[in-house]
Amino acid sequence: MTTSVSTDEQSSSQQPESSLDVNILKEIGRKALVDALNSVNGAKTLVLDASLAGPLGLVTEVALLKHHGVDKMFWLEPGPLTSTTSNIVYLCRPMIKHVKVIADQIKRHTRESQQHTYTLLLVPRVSTLVTRVLEEEGVLGDVVISAFNLQFIPLADDVISLECDNAFKEIWVDGDETVIYDSAQALITLQKLYGAFPRIIGKGDHAARLAAMLDRQSPHANTPPPDASSPQIDSLILLDRRVDMVTPLLTQLTYEGLTDELLGIKNSHVELPASLVNPPAQSETSNAAPSTSPSTSTAPVSSLRKESKKKYHLSTSTDPLYAELRDLNFSAVGRKLNRVAHRLDEDYKARLQAKTVAQLRDFVGKLGGLQTEHQSLRLHTGLSELLVPLTRTEQFNKSLEIQQNLLASYNNSAQLSAIEDMIAEGADMQVILRLVCLASITAGGIKAKTLENLKREIMQAYGYNRLPLLLSLAAPPLAILLPNPLPASAPASSFPKYPFTSLRKSLRLLIDDNPEALEEVENDISFVYSGYAPISVRLVQCIAQKGGVLSNPAEKDKPEGGGKTKTTKVQAHPIVGWKGFEDVIASIPGETVDIINKVSRGNTGPPPMASLLAPRDQSTTTAVFFLGGCTYTEISALRWVARQNRGRKFLVATTGIVSGGSIIESIADSGRTVGSKDAGI
Amino acid sequence: MSAHPTTSWEAMQDGNVFYRRQQLYSIPGKLPNLGEYTVAACRHGGPLAMVRDTSKLVALGRTTPALNKTQIQIYSPAGEGLLLFSWDQGKIVRFGWTHDERLVILNEEGVYRLYDLQGDYQQHSLGSDAGELGIIDAQVHDNGLVALTGSLTLLEVKGWEGNRPLTLANPGLSEPPHAWTIIPPDLNVSRHVEVLLSVDTTIYSVDNLESIDQRLSRGPFTHLAASPNGKSLALLTYAGVLWVVSTDFQRSMAEYDTKTAPAGTEPVRQVAWCGNDAILVTWDTSALLVGPFGDTLQYFYSGPTFATTEPDGVRVVGPDTCDLIQKVPVSTVAVFRPGSAAPSAILYDAWESFVQRSPKADESIRSIRPELAAAVDECIDAAGHEWEPYWQRRLINAAKFGRGFLDLYNPTDFVNMGQTLKVLNAVRFYEVGIPLTYTQYMYASPDHLVARLTARNFHLLAHRISVFLHLKPDAVLRHWASAKIAHSRPSATGTGKDADLSGDDDVCKAIVDKFQQLGGPDVSYAEIAKRAWEVGRSGLATKLLDYEPKASDQVPLLLSMKEDKQALIKAVDSGDTDLVYHVLLHLYKRLPLGSFFRLIEDGGERLALASKLLQVYAREQNRDMLRDFYYSDDRRVESAVLSLDEAAKMADPPAKISAVKAAQKFFSEDKDRAFEAKMMDESAKLLAAQQQLEKDADGKIPFFGLSVNETIHTCLVNGMSKKADKIKTDFKVPDKRFWYLKLYALTSTRDFEGLEAFTKSKRSPIGYEPFVRHLIEKGFSKEAATYVPRCDSPKRADLYVECGEWRKAGEECKTRGDKAKLAELRSKAPNSLIERELGQIASSMR
Repeated sequence: MTTSVSTDEQSSSQQPESSLDVNILKEIGRKALVDALNSVNGAKTLVLDASLAGPLGLVTEVALLKHHGVDKMFWLEPGPLTSTTSNIVYLCRPMIKHVKVIADQIKRHTRESQQHTYTLLLVPRVSTLVTRVLEEEGVLGDVVISAFNLQFIPLADDVISLECDNAFKEIWVDGDETVIYDSAQALITLQKLYGAFPRIIGKGDHAARLAAMLDRQSPHANTPPPDASSPQIDSLILLDRRVDMVTPLLTQLTYEGLTDELLGIKNSHVELPASLVNPPAQSETSNAAPSTSPSTSTAPVSSLRKESKKKYHLSTSTDPLYAELRDLNFSAVGRKLNRVAHRLDEDYKARLQAKTVAQLRDFVGKLGGLQTEHQSLRLHTGLSELLVPLTRTEQFNKSLEIQQNLLASYNNSAQLSAIEDMIAEGADMQVILRLVCLASITAGGIKAKTLENLKREIMQAYGYNRLPLLLSLAAPPLAILLPNPLPASAPASSFPKYPFTSLRKSLRLLIDDNPEALEEVENDISFVYSGYAPISVRLVQCIAQKGGVLSNPAEKDKPEGGGKTKTTKVQAHPIVGWKGFEDVIASIPGETVDIINKVSRGNTGPPPMASLLAPRDQSTTTAVFFLGGCTYTEISALRWVARQNRGRKFLVATTGIVSGGSIIESIADSGRTVGSKDAGI
Repeated sequence: MSAHPTTSWEAMQDGNVFYRRQQLYSIPGKLPNLGEYTVAACRHGGPLAMVRDTSKLVALGRTTPALNKTQIQIYSPAGEGLLLFSWDQGKIVRFGWTHDERLVILNEEGVYRLYDLQGDYQQHSLGSDAGELGIIDAQVHDNGLVALTGSLTLLEVKGWEGNRPLTLANPGLSEPPHAWTIIPPDLNVSRHVEVLLSVDTTIYSVDNLESIDQRLSRGPFTHLAASPNGKSLALLTYAGVLWVVSTDFQRSMAEYDTKTAPAGTEPVRQVAWCGNDAILVTWDTSALLVGPFGDTLQYFYSGPTFATTEPDGVRVVGPDTCDLIQKVPVSTVAVFRPGSAAPSAILYDAWESFVQRSPKADESIRSIRPELAAAVDECIDAAGHEWEPYWQRRLINAAKFGRGFLDLYNPTDFVNMGQTLKVLNAVRFYEVGIPLTYTQYMYASPDHLVARLTARNFHLLAHRISVFLHLKPDAVLRHWASAKIAHSRPSATGTGKDADLSGDDDVCKAIVDKFQQLGGPDVSYAEIAKRAWEVGRSGLATKLLDYEPKASDQVPLLLSMKEDKQALIKAVDSGDTDLVYHVLLHLYKRLPLGSFFRLIEDGGERLALASKLLQVYAREQNRDMLRDFYYSDDRRVESAVLSLDEAAKMADPPAKISAVKAAQKFFSEDKDRAFEAKMMDESAKLLAAQQQLEKDADGKIPFFGLSVNETIHTCLVNGMSKKADKIKTDFKVPDKRFWYLKLYALTSTRDFEGLEAFTKSKRSPIGYEPFVRHLIEKGFSKEAATYVPRCDSPKRADLYVECGEWRKAGEECKTRGDKAKLAELRSKAPNSLIERELGQIASSMR
């Protein structure tokens, strides 16, 4: 069985024939940047918002910037800016704190009577707010403001992201819906590239807003819909994060997910000890980490950092082994690495068999590939060695156990006291809050008395200044930390109850994990959490793989096909909306969306017939957009779903990659000091 | 039948190249004497603007118009007067045309206006600095202008939206240049404008970065002209030598001494390019076309002329005619050149024979069979370059005839050419007066042509053309509607039957009907509504605006109409947060604070987004406003959180405590927030206690702002265990947590005796396993082992192993009689020594 899985994987990574070419998006981003830079003539100093460095690093490299006249680069930080060029280009997101820094620097220059030309490039678009703040600061007249429209950035062949770190918090805590609007714009760009979405299906209040925006705006923007009849994308599935808060709160257990949980992956880059990233002797893979690392005005941070940590770009194009590893449950990673090591060993041994000069030459030709693979193997072995001790800690295992029990609604009060014990032991606040919120969601609230006690414990252990954070978690529309019953004064309508227990049954969320099955075969999407299937991906299955919700497609093949699962793959069924799961969907709070695009209906007659006939042999792509971010496990699960059927690929689009930790951190940050963020980059 | 095309041809370069002078319009007496006027003509067959040249003497006569007022006259190339208005601003230094046929007039005070052909204008300025220095000259190109200030610096304006002028590099002139010109950005490699100044004997080329002296020695130059493609430059020296160089001054391309021309002794009026390879030099009554190899052709006029460079030729307006001088296009030469043996010529010949029913037709067609497709294409192309419909038709017919002999032929070009010629002939009609050539039409796009027609109020023609060419009709409709509104105004205010007829409803209905009938789904009503509002008809504007689907277009107008609530609702509905900010910030500025808040609060759910965005903005930029906002809406919780947020940023202890207390007060005012109020009470208490602790420690140990846990930990680490106990009781810290804190603190100070004493003081509420584990984790395995006996017996063996005490683990197994475990231990043993030891224990168990 194991071999079949791996071949499956390889084949899926080897045949990109039907998947969309998302690298166009990268090219678009790069071109937009080059155009924006070229609009300023001559050498320029680039001042960069640090939160944009990661996303930019995925689109371009420093050499390209230098090539287009960027002389020096600085971080956008409070304090004076010294520039030798007359042009200064600021590149940042339209946030007030950035604008204030810029205004301050400009005023300082004026005071010192330095002559500079200022250009402010805003990502992704020009904002009235910025203009207003500049006006209030009295420097509007000195700055030329234009936009650098950075939209979706491809993270992998099938994942594109807006890389907005705070999207979740902005939507559900601040109520700032800018991200939704930007997402709509980015999705419209996607439509321009790949044809209009014939159908938009979604769930969640904010997803509904997004769908409404898309529906309203598309007739205006559809100047080039010539190939609307044969769009490469058969539908767009919109899910807002609020629809499934359970999944991100759990600990991700895939290789990629666990790396994110324990080490943190930022913009596809993970910080690793330098000795691991650099090959022992040669330094040829130093280009594997091409992130834009401009020198800071204050200190040579980059050189300081090099000794201890180094950023590594997790990408399947430079690291083929990663493609095989990223989606595996962590328990299977060790075996996989072992097998690869054996294979490499055999390959190296081929050298000994080489007798003739021709054979030797043959081997030498392969040597480069082998060495790359060797280095990649070394890195991933080292990385999993870093992870293993972290998964052995008391805290980690305890929280996993509590998670599994809460999901099964097993002895809830015992779990709550276990959480309390963890607070006493001094566990990470982020871990505690995830567990408490999870308990609240799965049980439909926590008894008021217990909840107050927990909150008190949290505040005593982590500081009373966590009160705003706790209030944010409890306030609608987020409302993931609630007392049960609700206080009488709270309107029940703004605190809809999440029907977790009934979903557990109807969507088959928990899989009985008999140990052998779990060991050997990824028999359901639940492998990503060792026994729990992410609700969000189940919802996608409700649309795109209805059979998969009810039973395991992989298991069905077992009796007949044995090892040859590939041949028995069924053709993906056409998209017919939520059909068959209407009741389940209706029980989840939030609006339900199902819009069939009028344009395509006009062209191709009744849509069900057309879509029934069309995808017999050709393959289509279904775009899944996560508003508010998605986890690595969800991506892995969707890849798994795609592998079970012929003729359907998924394109995962998201506002950013999140984990429970990053969500909690972003909310916790909101009320805290603003200036010193990202000092470590 | 018109004269054969070749009659207007004249050969150059030994008969290899032909130039033709095509009379476009005959305009005797329609234009004033051009010699007395400064003229600017728009490219692509556009109109001419003229202002009397004040430096010229004028004979007073009966026809002389008022001289004391500056008047600007605009004529079409066919000599029809389009517009006449007087100029009441400062002295005009330069005027020119924009890409969309608007007249730019710049005065010496740095103010410029953009007039459309209806006489409506927009006014912009080059800024106060420029106004003070004064503007002495300027050059206008399609998408901007470059002005020369009184201090001899250069200012560039990009686009016509009133952008702030940019200062170009300072060429350091001491006196105004003898002559100058610019190369527009779109023709330049750098995509930035380049200015060429004739200074002394040389030329400076200036862009926004630097000024380069080209080190020429033949100057000064009286005329400079850049070719339409921006690659070559024509210079005329004082000595009358016409010299052509590439614009990078690397190659000298041609030279010609104009003094040798028949009119050479007179002053040269103009040097203008004819296409990209010939130059027309004009004098008062004659013009000389200089070819690339110094060949010349001479043309005579009865009076002063004005020449306009076109991309494919030069348009010359004289007293009697408007001519186009151009190189005869290749396809036309191929067809009509006497004795041409090109396939297209033979095809044309065959068609003529066919019309005359001569059998020669078949023979000719046969002879060019392989090249027939190319011949057909060439005939089609030649038709496009013919001015007379008669010849166009003949060429098209010839092409059609040839097409019949082809098995497969894509007729797209043929059909397109037919359509294009229909359109071109329509707009060339003298009443319309746009002498557009095929090349120019292709260059500037059909949309551009339609826009030009609407600007002249030829709505019906424009609409028919756009329908004919399958263009979107909305631009035409929009212009029509604006014109309609503008024209219906006088009667609306007037009396009588007309007033009722053109009331708001009727106009609105007329416009909407027309739009729905003719326009697609994309017509925008906002612009028209704006127009209606501008002319003071807000009722009509509101009505029209309801039809506008795009919020981003509705909102600004609603705002300027002071329909605040409506604007805010529309903005929120659109979901465009920037638009919401736009409205919010606008209203915040304009409305009194109270009514501003009320507007947002009254909106309830509908305006929730606006309320949230206002909070986001205010939290960063305007906290006082936010405080007022929360206060006015009785939002206790938010007020409290805001207060806490401020407390977090404060460093000063008393201020911080009072901020926390303020938050506590806010919470206590909300009966559902009793818990939070209590917590804040505790928080304030803790801060006070920490202040006291700091005092006790003589300020050496920072306590302020720590959490309860950290406070206890700090106390313990610093040997203030009494204080720690007090904190524990004051804040009711549970035993479990306290034990862990104590464990961690004592371990970190290596106070193992203290730890031992502590564990003996009382039975541990957390068991003893955590002690073992924590000590191991911190690397004190030996100490850890001492706690193992107090743990649950089944775990002891494993814990011992973790402490590295294999022997004790073995003994533990022995006491419990667990052989299996012992065997397991043996198999895991790290070295043979331990293995043997364990073996001994195992054997002793029997």
